[in-house]
Amino acid sequence: MANSGIELETNGGSKHWDSDSQPNASIPISTVALPPASNFHCAFQKIAHSVKIVIFTAKINVLLPFGPASIILHYLTNHHGVVFLCSLLGIIPLAERLGYATEQMAAYTGPTVGGLLNATFGNATEMIIAIYALKNGMIRVVQQSLLGSILSNMLLVLGCSFFAGGIVHYDKKEQVFNKGTAVVNSGLLLMAVMGLSFPAVLHFTHSEVRYGKSEVALSRFSSCIMLVAYGSYLFFQLSGRESSQYSRIDSQEGSDSDIQRQSQSQNSAEPEDEEEEPEIGLWESVAWLALLTLWVSILSEYLVNAIQGASESFNLPVAFISVILLPIVGNAAEHASAVMFAMKDKLDITLGVAIGSSTQISMFVIPFCVVVGWMMKKNMDLNFQLFETATLFITVLVVAFMVQDGTANYLKGLMLVLCYLIVAASFFVHVDPSSSDD
Amino acid sequence: MMTSTEEEKTGLQEEAITINGSPMAVRKMQAFEHIGSLAAVAQSYGPRSVKSRILKSIYIVLIKAKINVLLPFGPLAVILHYLTGKHGWVFFFSLIGITPMAERLGYATEQLACYTGSTVGGLLNATFGNATEMIISIYALKNGMIRVVQQSLLGSILSNMLLVLGCAFFAGGLTHPHKDQDFNKASAVVNSGLLLMAVMGLLFPAVLHFTHSEVHYGKSEVTLSRFSSCVMLLAYASYLFFQLKSHRSLYNPIDSEVDGEQDAKEDNEEEEEPEITQWEAIVWLAVLTIWISILSGYLVDAIQGASESVNMPIAFISVILLPIVGNAAEHASAIMFAMKDKLDITLGVAIGSSTQISMFVIPFCVVIGWMMGKQMDLNFQLFETATLFITVLVVAFMLQEGTANYFKGLMLILCYLIVAASFFVHVDPTSDDN
Repeated sequence: MANSGIELETNGGSKHWDSDSQPNASIPISTVALPPASNFHCAFQKIAHSVKIVIFTAKINVLLPFGPASIILHYLTNHHGVVFLCSLLGIIPLAERLGYATEQMAAYTGPTVGGLLNATFGNATEMIIAIYALKNGMIRVVQQSLLGSILSNMLLVLGCSFFAGGIVHYDKKEQVFNKGTAVVNSGLLLMAVMGLSFPAVLHFTHSEVRYGKSEVALSRFSSCIMLVAYGSYLFFQLSGRESSQYSRIDSQEGSDSDIQRQSQSQNSAEPEDEEEEPEIGLWESVAWLALLTLWVSILSEYLVNAIQGASESFNLPVAFISVILLPIVGNAAEHASAVMFAMKDKLDITLGVAIGSSTQISMFVIPFCVVVGWMMKKNMDLNFQLFETATLFITVLVVAFMVQDGTANYLKGLMLVLCYLIVAASFFVHVDPSSSDD
Repeated sequence: MMTSTEEEKTGLQEEAITINGSPMAVRKMQAFEHIGSLAAVAQSYGPRSVKSRILKSIYIVLIKAKINVLLPFGPLAVILHYLTGKHGWVFFFSLIGITPMAERLGYATEQLACYTGSTVGGLLNATFGNATEMIISIYALKNGMIRVVQQSLLGSILSNMLLVLGCAFFAGGLTHPHKDQDFNKASAVVNSGLLLMAVMGLLFPAVLHFTHSEVHYGKSEVTLSRFSSCVMLLAYASYLFFQLKSHRSLYNPIDSEVDGEQDAKEDNEEEEEPEITQWEAIVWLAVLTIWISILSGYLVDAIQGASESVNMPIAFISVILLPIVGNAAEHASAIMFAMKDKLDITLGVAIGSSTQISMFVIPFCVVIGWMMGKQMDLNFQLFETATLFITVLVVAFMLQEGTANYFKGLMLILCYLIVAASFFVHVDPTSDDN
């Protein structure tokens, strides 16, 4: 009872919490007897308890020390490559915990705002890294890392999931998923490709009114339009359509919250259980959200600063690092959960993670970075250069074609993974024509 | 007695309908007042009745429809052309003046279609549906403004596929908020296939020229374009045969569209009630075509000057402004049918028009250019071709499901805004634009 008392105090009595089942039913926290008179003791216990849940119970947090290690290495040595790798490894657990804090908060705020939270913060790590790179004026890194995130989500994550799901459910021959959502997302991805294509082709054919300036203006206009489109997409999806085609979306938004929860073993309820059971209080999750964002920002700065040096010391093109390495690591947690849900035959969740994340990045994060660059007075635009734009175009076509019939099997998954290998190999031998890369 | 009654009635009209007191004339005047009953009117062919018929015809065609309030802009444009040198004004006025005439041309076409039966009616719709664009293009071709031809036809396709369809889906979705609207998937898919084939026909000359991999630089792709145009015209003819004869059953929901499209301005009655006779329809068809040709001449002459005075690239005027105005009437009717949940008709108007332009009007212009000795070809330059390619893909993808909602409409409209913005900052790389 004492524990539930703490929980209710922290909540401030949110309605969602009260309307659900008993809060203390399934939280096997070690009970702490509180001396009622000692406020400081209370606070300390609460903080320790929170830290225990967030930091010490998830296995992925074994990677946490890499973060401080990379900072130390940055100041002690000049090994940019090692700094880069360590900060990369250090960000992984932070990104995963950020997702956890987001869905904990979503448990309190109800499905609509929860869906919005997932939609906005789902790719918070990529957004933070991109904004830091933008501040440093590394516009190509921004473009390439965001592009790589889209490619990795659409090809690698989806491919691995389909493949794993197909192998596990070999007897069923095919897994099905909700075609409607996939088609809407594919349509949005095509629209994003459209928005990215015109500035690139305009610049490439030298057919702008003012060379170099028109396509920045066009990019900024297109970005605003794409943000409007994404806003209406959220409205359309979350306003709860009555047709059964889309009614599973709401449960999808709520189920997204289970993704990170599943990755930690002890505290979660049965994996089949899809009710939201918050483990930390509302204000705690807000506080953790802020704290983790701060940590991710700090590490991102060292990461971005080390890219150039890492590229030289490892003898890899900057394009390869930005497009392939960064996103694989940044998406590691989503990757694992998508594969796991596919193996459990819950392909709708997998699609929500993979394709939904791609849509989010292409229709929200990229235009958002253009607008942020506009405010920062950087010339960030949608001209991703011809090679990258063509890659995105072909990939979107392939993936849209694969998901349009609503079924999945291991061959589709294998094909997607092999396509990703081709893309990765292409970027391994790709440098920007204007930059000198010795 | 008769005379005074007639004079009272004639007081409503223009001056000299001097009809002597004959029973036939009285019947005619009464029929004139009660426009609905036309049977008696159609039977009289006497010379005295010619004038009254002409005036009545003028009333029905030119005065009754509200859009005709824009008619005076046409003559105004001609006057301004000779009085002032302000090309901008001439351009805009002729643009506004063409709109009602294009609409009336469509009206005359479907009136004629009532008499000729559904097959020839479909053919008429198919041929004259984009008569305005065809006339403007042929004038521009005569003036040697090949880029304007290419860009205005491209813009017409883009505006039909994105703007008209998007607005229709959006309006229909808002009017029917609780469900997805359905349409006949089969015909949409066939049209998408034809549009993709048109893109293919346009792509090869452009890429061939761009990669400098032609046998005779600059000449091969004109020859290729002419050959491809003949192939595309053949494809379009087979499509008409397919749609109107052999596979009609595939198009059952759309069948009524071919016959019933004229009642867009009437109320919901879908029976054919011709309002003018067959010969009148033919005469009006000819008269309106001549008027449109005259105005198009002034329109095309004023494009260059308008571009300089309003400070917009010619590409933007040709691709965005010209088609929006040219398609205004189709636009309105497509939206109205979508709101009435008759999406098959909307699709027939929007996508059918795009297919018609890409598979018929464009190759037809190439052939006409061939006969005129102009170098009109299918090489639309890389940027325009890429735009068309991406647009066709996006639209084909949207349509393949066979359902529509307001969100799809909104996406199509936003795509059109992106396309319009791209052309606002686009000039041809080879032209001098100062």
